[in-house]
Amino acid sequence: MNKDESLDCKGLMCPMPIVKLAKKMKEMQVGKVLELVADDPGSKEDVPAWCSRTGNELAEMRQEGKAFYFYIRKKAA
Amino acid sequence: MAEAKKVVIVVSEGTFDKAMMSLMIGNTAASMGMEVHIFHTFFGLSLLKKGANPKAPGMYRLFTGMFKKRMLAVGVEAYEAQKKMALELGVNMYACSTTMSIMHVKEEELDKGVKLLGAAAFLDIAADSDMQYFIG
Repeated sequence: MNKDESLDCKGLMCPMPIVKLAKKMKEMQVGKVLELVADDPGSKEDVPAWCSRTGNELAEMRQEGKAFYFYIRKKAA
Repeated sequence: MAEAKKVVIVVSEGTFDKAMMSLMIGNTAASMGMEVHIFHTFFGLSLLKKGANPKAPGMYRLFTGMFKKRMLAVGVEAYEAQKKMALELGVNMYACSTTMSIMHVKEEELDKGVKLLGAAAFLDIAADSDMQYFIG
């Protein structure tokens, strides 16, 4: 999947990936896609919850080994 | 996106676990676009002092350094840094005015950005909140 920005949160546990994700998305323009990589097992549920709560689109999600790759398209301003 | 949810948290203990819990919930909620209000009362008030360094409770007190080190290893910084982050994220941090008087804490001892409240003002905020947590 195409990405405009990338954020590596490997090794970080809750709530840091979400706090960093929110901060990063704030700096991005609407329509741009962020690739977030996290290996906190909780992120599998946390990131989709953040997206639906904040009105952003989780365009794709996949798992490679212990790492989760999320592709989030910024929808909300 | 739905209208921003309002979260209120009351913290009545000043130990490391309670302190971290309040800000992990608070900072996550703020990162999710929620409006967050944290009211510190009784022993929770000490957390709002400048340079607060809460210890683990009871006999675990001796292991505070180990807990901190393990949290830092997974990117979760110490309480002081979490508190700074909370204030930056726009989390409202309140000190109970009665507790300040009971514990002889002066306003200038507290972090910048902390607001002083009484019970009525806090209840006014809590009355139309969506989620309420008591950590104590």
